[in-house]
Amino acid sequence: MLKVQNLHKAYRRHATVVPVLAGVDLEVAAGEFLSIIGASGSGKSTLLHLLGTLDRPDSGSIYLDGQRIDDLPPRQRDRLRNQKFGFIFQFYHLLPELTALENVLTPAMVGYSLCGYWWSRRELRRRAIGLLERVGLGHRLSHRPRELSGGEMQRCAIARALMLQPPLLLADEPTGNLDAHTGGQIIALLRQLNRDAGLTIVMVTHNLDLVAGTDRVVRLVAGRIDSAPVSHRGADHDYAGLHQRQAG
Amino acid sequence: MYKLLLCGRYLLTRYLAFVCIVSVMLGVATLIVVNSVMSGFSSKLKERLHGLLSDVMVESVSLEGFADPADKMRRIAASPVGHLIEAMSPQIEVFAMMQFRVGYRGELITRPCKLIGLDPDSRAKVGGFAEFLENPRNRQRPSFALSEEAQRRQLLLHPPLPELPGPLDFARPGEPPPPQWDTPIAPPKVARGIIVGHAIATYRDKNAPLGESARDIVLLHPGDDVTITTVGAQRLQPVYDRFAVCDYFKSEMSEYDANYVFVPLDYLQRLRTMEDRVTSIQIRLKDPEQAAAVRDALQRIFPASTYQVHTWQDKQGPLLAAIGIERNLLNIILFMIIVVAGFGILAIFSMIVVEKTRDIGILKSLGATTLGIMSIFVGYGLLLGVVGAALGTVLGLAITDNINEIERFIARSTGQAIFPRDVYYFNMIPTNVQPGNVVLINVGAILTAVIFSVAPALRAATLHPVRALRYE
Repeated sequence: MLKVQNLHKAYRRHATVVPVLAGVDLEVAAGEFLSIIGASGSGKSTLLHLLGTLDRPDSGSIYLDGQRIDDLPPRQRDRLRNQKFGFIFQFYHLLPELTALENVLTPAMVGYSLCGYWWSRRELRRRAIGLLERVGLGHRLSHRPRELSGGEMQRCAIARALMLQPPLLLADEPTGNLDAHTGGQIIALLRQLNRDAGLTIVMVTHNLDLVAGTDRVVRLVAGRIDSAPVSHRGADHDYAGLHQRQAG
Repeated sequence: MYKLLLCGRYLLTRYLAFVCIVSVMLGVATLIVVNSVMSGFSSKLKERLHGLLSDVMVESVSLEGFADPADKMRRIAASPVGHLIEAMSPQIEVFAMMQFRVGYRGELITRPCKLIGLDPDSRAKVGGFAEFLENPRNRQRPSFALSEEAQRRQLLLHPPLPELPGPLDFARPGEPPPPQWDTPIAPPKVARGIIVGHAIATYRDKNAPLGESARDIVLLHPGDDVTITTVGAQRLQPVYDRFAVCDYFKSEMSEYDANYVFVPLDYLQRLRTMEDRVTSIQIRLKDPEQAAAVRDALQRIFPASTYQVHTWQDKQGPLLAAIGIERNLLNIILFMIIVVAGFGILAIFSMIVVEKTRDIGILKSLGATTLGIMSIFVGYGLLLGVVGAALGTVLGLAITDNINEIERFIARSTGQAIFPRDVYYFNMIPTNVQPGNVVLINVGAILTAVIFSVAPALRAATLHPVRALRYE
């Protein structure tokens, strides 16, 4: 479904160039739940932003369902983000002025024209309420983000990501700001969505404890995908091994 | 849809935005009030000037005037524009000095004035005279006749003297003594009537309570003597005569009320030795809008070397132009208030964009376009402009409607008169709300709000989504 070839990305500030991705090759099959792990600063979030067309690579290419998407004009990239990708962020990124229901409806408001939205408003509202009920927030429709707990905000963000039924969910440290128990609930919810709806999920995290339930785990080391198998024994042990390999 | 929703929510949740609304509101309200008052002054002044002046006047270039006004009027009536003329009246206008005594043996006052000799009947048809006379009877049918009260005052001032029986002669011896001088009494010599400007005959009481209508103190009562001295027409010799005040001319235009005195045309002609000559012919048109066309047509008939043909607007051109210039200047200066409000919008929006950086990143991650993000903030500016302009319009119209009450309240509170009523002789601040102007002010304010929101909106729209999402 998603294919990445020789992806390079570096950040520049004046004369200083900080390379982040140095030739990433990756393939994600439809319906797969892929975890990308790596230490902080390894380029996980950058990779996810490139996959989600929020940023452009310096070189390399990204294909979605066989169509190259990294060089699309801005309007088409905007459309793609709206229709094909659902984003989940570490800090939930809900709009504070809107209620939970309005936050979930936002992708529809962005994607539909004013008239289109008006005509479909009942159906869209029904779908948004259904999604919020599905993530356990049926009783929190009119609550603002500041009135929700961290776990509830993340569940609301998941409902928002699913609003336009995108085929691909991109999750950037979705449990990074939550305690272990709530984080586990979020991962379980994602797993359930992956199994029940066949949703393709790409999740980046530095927490190896969360990746156990995912279909495949890849590791990002020094801006490349490390081909060595990833053990689920614990983050500390695994990162020690990663550092040894990088030094070698 | 999200743009409308967010504009509305930002408006309701960002209290800082109310500062912008208040700035726009005050700017719009001030402009509406100033425009309405200036327009009120302007239209009232125009109305009064037009009320005083005839539509078109054919004037002599010299004080000597021109001969045979009846023939001139016949030529005007027979001209191609004759059918446009409603009425005509011959007139003499000349500078003069007037002298009068305040009270029976009071102070002697001498002052310059503009002496107008007119025929009351024909001038009443032309307009700008009879309607401003104070005596209601004269307003119906103007005349220079003294009222009974004025005649009584004249008699008090000039008591009748016994008439001499004949030429005095020395008595010859043997003749009987002459009869006693107790009878008969000579009829009193009553002076001719003169109509004086109200501001000549009275003065405003400066001690009137603040904000209240000023009281007039009368110096010249009907029947009082006035001596007029002017120049003869043929030779520059002083000519003078005594007149008795028969009425006041009160147009509420200080320039006219403080300078004009009116006497009968035929008498002024005799006084100035200019029989059958006048200095101008005043013309009233059926349609005042035709004044310029009539002026041009008449100027072709009467050569410019001897006659000047003017419309009432030509005569008051500099004054009317000054009012227009004043209004435009005030508009420009006051529009600065709205521009300042615009800079307020720029500053506050820039802050809001910084505050909303992450939200902008979120919206971009959800597929919002650059134009979409920009339109949120431009729409927000538009909304602030519309709300501010609407509130400003309501406030401006409310102030305009109650401007006199507000002026009186401020005058009472501060002890400082804001609207000195003796300057224009208006007892109320005149206002005239012009809907076209109100619309223009609103459009200007809304446009300013939109223009000043473009720069922050552009900044928001061009934010890199990843940098915006990572913004702390």
